[in-house]
Amino acid sequence: MIGSPDVVAFTKEDGFAEVYKDPWMIPEEFSVPLFPHSGNGNPWTKTSYAKFTKDFILISEFSEQVGPQPLLTIPDESKVCGTFDLNYFSLRIMSVDYQASCVGHPPGCGYPKLNFVEDSKVVLGDSKEGAFAYVHHLTLYDLEARGFVRPFCMAYISADERKIMQQFIELSSEFSKASECLKTGNRKAFANELENKLKDLEYTRSVLHKETELQKMSNGCFSTQAIEKANELANVEKSIYEHKDLLKQITSYPNRKINDPEFLPYESGSPVDSADLGQEPTFREFNSEDQSEDHSIKQRPSYTPQLVKAKSAKCFDKRLKTLEELCDLYFFHQTMDQLRLIEKTFRGDLCYIYTSQIDQALLKKQKITNFLFEDSEWEEEEAEQQFCDGKQTMTNNLPPASILSVEPLSLDSYTSCVETVPIKLEPETNEDRIYGRELTEFSPCDLLQDNTDEGIDAEMKGSLSSGESIEVLGTEKSFKTQGPTVNSNSVANLQPSYPEVVRKKIFTRRTYSEDSIEILSTCESIIPEDLRPSYPSAIYEEELPVESCTDAVHSQTSMLNQAPGMLDECVDESGSNLQVESTCCIGKEDHIYKGSSPELAQECCANGVMKQEPQSDDQGDPTLQADFSLDQATFSEASPAGLPLYELNPNCLSDDVSRMNCDDLSDSTSFMSASTSSDRTYSPFLYGNPITVKHKKKFGQSALRFIRQYPFAQQAVFCLLSGRTLVVLGADEGTVRKLVNALSIFVPKIGKHGEAVKQWLSSPFQLTELLNWKLIGLHRVASPAGSSMVHSLSRYSRYISVLDIDHKTLRCPPYKGSLIGKMVDHHTQIKRGSTYFMHVQSMQTQLCSKAFLYTFCHHLHLPISADEDQDAVASRRTNFLHHQLRYGEDDCRIMQFLSELIKHHYLHGSSKGGTLPVFSFNYTTSFLHKP
Amino acid sequence: MSSGCPPQSPAVAKTEVVVEGESPLLAATFAYWDNILGPRVRHIWAPKTERPLLLSDGEITFLANHTLNGEILRSAECGAVDVKFFVLAEKGVIIVSLIFDGELKGDKNTCALSLILPQTQLAFYLPLHAVCVERLKHIIRKGRIWMKMGCSIVSVLTSEIVPIMELLSSMKTHSVPEDIDIKDTVLNDDDIGDSCHEDFLHKAISSHLQTCGCSMVVGSNPEKVNKIVRTLCLFLTPAERKCSRLCRAESSFRYDTGLFVQGLLKDSTGSFVLPFRQVLYSPYPTTHIDVDVNTRGGRGPDTVARADDTFTPDLNVFQDVMHRDTLVKSFLDEVFLLKPGLGLRSTFLAQFLLLLHRRALTLLKYIEDETQKGKKPFRSLRSLKTDLDLTEEGDLNIVMAMAEKLKAGLHSFVFGKSFYTSVQERDVLMSF
Repeated sequence: MIGSPDVVAFTKEDGFAEVYKDPWMIPEEFSVPLFPHSGNGNPWTKTSYAKFTKDFILISEFSEQVGPQPLLTIPDESKVCGTFDLNYFSLRIMSVDYQASCVGHPPGCGYPKLNFVEDSKVVLGDSKEGAFAYVHHLTLYDLEARGFVRPFCMAYISADERKIMQQFIELSSEFSKASECLKTGNRKAFANELENKLKDLEYTRSVLHKETELQKMSNGCFSTQAIEKANELANVEKSIYEHKDLLKQITSYPNRKINDPEFLPYESGSPVDSADLGQEPTFREFNSEDQSEDHSIKQRPSYTPQLVKAKSAKCFDKRLKTLEELCDLYFFHQTMDQLRLIEKTFRGDLCYIYTSQIDQALLKKQKITNFLFEDSEWEEEEAEQQFCDGKQTMTNNLPPASILSVEPLSLDSYTSCVETVPIKLEPETNEDRIYGRELTEFSPCDLLQDNTDEGIDAEMKGSLSSGESIEVLGTEKSFKTQGPTVNSNSVANLQPSYPEVVRKKIFTRRTYSEDSIEILSTCESIIPEDLRPSYPSAIYEEELPVESCTDAVHSQTSMLNQAPGMLDECVDESGSNLQVESTCCIGKEDHIYKGSSPELAQECCANGVMKQEPQSDDQGDPTLQADFSLDQATFSEASPAGLPLYELNPNCLSDDVSRMNCDDLSDSTSFMSASTSSDRTYSPFLYGNPITVKHKKKFGQSALRFIRQYPFAQQAVFCLLSGRTLVVLGADEGTVRKLVNALSIFVPKIGKHGEAVKQWLSSPFQLTELLNWKLIGLHRVASPAGSSMVHSLSRYSRYISVLDIDHKTLRCPPYKGSLIGKMVDHHTQIKRGSTYFMHVQSMQTQLCSKAFLYTFCHHLHLPISADEDQDAVASRRTNFLHHQLRYGEDDCRIMQFLSELIKHHYLHGSSKGGTLPVFSFNYTTSFLHKP
Repeated sequence: MSSGCPPQSPAVAKTEVVVEGESPLLAATFAYWDNILGPRVRHIWAPKTERPLLLSDGEITFLANHTLNGEILRSAECGAVDVKFFVLAEKGVIIVSLIFDGELKGDKNTCALSLILPQTQLAFYLPLHAVCVERLKHIIRKGRIWMKMGCSIVSVLTSEIVPIMELLSSMKTHSVPEDIDIKDTVLNDDDIGDSCHEDFLHKAISSHLQTCGCSMVVGSNPEKVNKIVRTLCLFLTPAERKCSRLCRAESSFRYDTGLFVQGLLKDSTGSFVLPFRQVLYSPYPTTHIDVDVNTRGGRGPDTVARADDTFTPDLNVFQDVMHRDTLVKSFLDEVFLLKPGLGLRSTFLAQFLLLLHRRALTLLKYIEDETQKGKKPFRSLRSLKTDLDLTEEGDLNIVMAMAEKLKAGLHSFVFGKSFYTSVQERDVLMSF
């Protein structure tokens, strides 16, 4: 049945009802587009209607023969411009002479004057074409050109108008450099041209002079020919005068401009190309009076003068010089390089450029934490410079070198801070013996063979417990031997009336094979706190994990001095008092022991006060720096009123000493590494190139794959973030390297060249190398060499975690926190590696922020009152992490590790070679995780 | 300034504008392309000053004509307003020109409205460029209709050029410095509740960030107002700070559309007349903070409000902050744990801002990946929240607002509704 609605569809509008017309309706042409971003408009398409695919640079000229014309584009690819009409756009941007000024013969002047016009900058657009441009107008000199000038412009063309205006200052600055370079080269070429022209004219004059003389001799003075020749000669004379004046003008430019405070002469960044191009290698504003310029002129190929007419005819059939010919070749190529750099810098989406600029500005304000995860080469250098400056200042206040000198470093010794006992390492000769002893003594499970022996941990799905349980507190022997010695020394050093440096050497040497550093004990007679005054940064006791005591799953974190070969402990004291506040503090390491314990702040709370902004006091207050290198052992009990001893005697030891030790030791570590294996060279894993965000973004894809593939990815990342070395074991080099790259984005303080990562290792590693390498790619080999590698893995299994990519297993401590879950989510829907890296980077920024807060939090690391003991301080710190930041035990460990790194960086600056300042390890039960 | 310019055309009307303080603007001009005579200047606005002008009328005319050079080639769509920006070192000036088409005496002409400033003001002007241009574009659209009706555009233009002159003049004396000393802000207090109520501060900063850093602070005490202004400006970029204004102690500035943060002083009766329409013109929604209410009664929750999405003149255009966040909350909880006066808080603040910027860029990239740069609709907001740890609505709003500043239109693309508070300009034009 047909209803009225069906009929309506066939009716005409005007026949159905009269359309209402609003008398106030404005014509369509006056309609204003609705707000540009209303509705569901695509924010990415607003620039898509341009006829070119990406931003490019166009150089155009206003030719006196053909008018505005495009000369070249950067990049020089036809597809970049697409169907965009370069001729039309050149016409548009060059249609106005924005540098209109007097050129040629000014009134009252008989000969041409050069006018050194300033560059003009214009932003304009063609909304119809969707093209917007920053246009930099400049003028070059050409002896053949009308008025001696050739107007050019360099334009940065983009589809994004906002980008042009937002980056105006940067674009203007960069194009000014390019323009200055081009103009410098042009002035040089112009001067050369003038000189050659002068030579021609002088040659012509001499020829004419001879001819005139001949004419006079043959036809008399008043013959027509003689008069013509005389006139011609006069013209040449005049021309010579004019050209000399022009030469004078062009060469006077630099002197005049240099007086202008805003003039920034172009300085070549790399003079290397010059030699290749056969040009003068160095840039110098030339001057006829300048000796060096004369010298450079002499170096030029000799010019053969030619006979010229006095006035060159201006006609349209002559060929105008190309841009390349107008400019000295060296400067031309420099300009092109600069323009290519500009194109590279400003290409892409504005939001990334803008955020990058904001990031850089913000990173400048947080130099103290940038070293953890940021890629800031400039910033490191700057910080280093500041430290150097500070160091220089401090040198004057240093105690005599003889007092501060330390014992020669031994490469074959190793100081364990666990007991402050030097442990002799004999890597070459006793290696096998040690390995054997290690294996016998501790029966470490072979990661490759014992997997099947592991019991399944009910708590960890698919994970196996290694069953290892080790507790290390210290030996009674060492405690008894060393404790009192140091204490007495500390007491002696308390006296503020003894400003001299007192050095105390503590010799408690033993061989590695005789006394193990690992003491399996639950002995309650030795309380870690008792050890602290003597070995303040040595012991760190973690809370007992949930596992049973019979398994002795008593995790401990201890640390080893990173200094192999440091046999002596020196306790230095000197100096005058420094007013510092005790309420806001963090722990301070002594100059030899790089306090790495997560509880360090508790132990060394009496040693350091962070009361200044890092950047400022690094350079501004050398005494404060010196203060931080106090030996905490010496002063931990020193303050009678709860004040740290450094308040009484702050200049006990220079920061230089500790830094020197650190540097020396890292060198020796490298040396030792090199001596054992050629593979140990301290090489960055990207062939010496600094690791940049770009690299990390690429690694992000592999990282994303890893976290999706392996449910235990969180555990692996936990190891890296808590400072436990992760070894990636596999037979295939490519796979291992790829995974190491992927995991490298999580490594704190990776180093400028990735020094904390050993991408590929095919020989056993040493304990000392765990100082440097926090992520190692290890080659699994079936040969006899492979067995020694297995030994090294077994031997250090309590210090490292092993990710076996062949068997897809991970042996490491469990992780039960929540921090990493936000960063490493097995179920993440993030699609791209670069996006994932950005997410990781955000989370790392958050981590840095929390670690910074924890490190510098007010009233957190020192006793508030005199009667508050260390336990109370420790408890406050723990409460802070648990209740203020709401972190679980494992997350606390991450925070403590990062805090230690910050503290070390603050005190000592960036360690050379990327060596991590501390060696910390956990005697924690490891589990075998399977997918 | 250069001299020797050609004499001005004979009939150039001029309006001298009385501006308090020193005006950075040399002149504003309205010029058009006469089909017979070429570029012609119709009107000049110049600040009234006792000192001799840096530019003579002839020079102004020369420069104004210059802006139209080359526009004979213009092939823009009808109604388009194109912007040109000149830095003419030879003349020592910068010129901002808005080129548009309009009807003059029945003919269609290309017109140019230009602002001329000394080149020395380049750094001062650039951050304000977008504000000036948007406001001038708006008035030009009005003026085009005026021209269509056969009326002179000059009076319409005057209604906006004078306020812009006043704005620039006020920014010379009361703009927020690029680098703010944290000691001049609430973040230097010993504890969080010292200057203002803890919840008030949290809501103020949270809402400020959720409205893209756009806020107005109203109060009776200029010092208190300015302290909050500076505090809010800490969360802006240096360029945005240059686009923010402190409150004047003697008498209040008028509200200016487009500034990020502005302090406004109440009159003796304790009230401030807020031009709602101007507020709604603002490119971003605006947070309204009344310092007095907080100080008097500590009624934090009622003092911070945000402009609504729809224009409803009879209703309150501001709404109380709805969504709470964890980002600002934890920042404020933690920053006061650091000792003041040592620069530690500045570092912590920088870390917080870096975090926000990075999260915003990550969010943008996430949506870009998901939608293939907008080719597909975005349907995975739930996943986004989980993946990027933005499950709290307030956190999402803050990060989304930061992302919106990076990529205009993102909010409406994701949520399907306009992020902007402003009444659609068509409605405005229809009703004026």
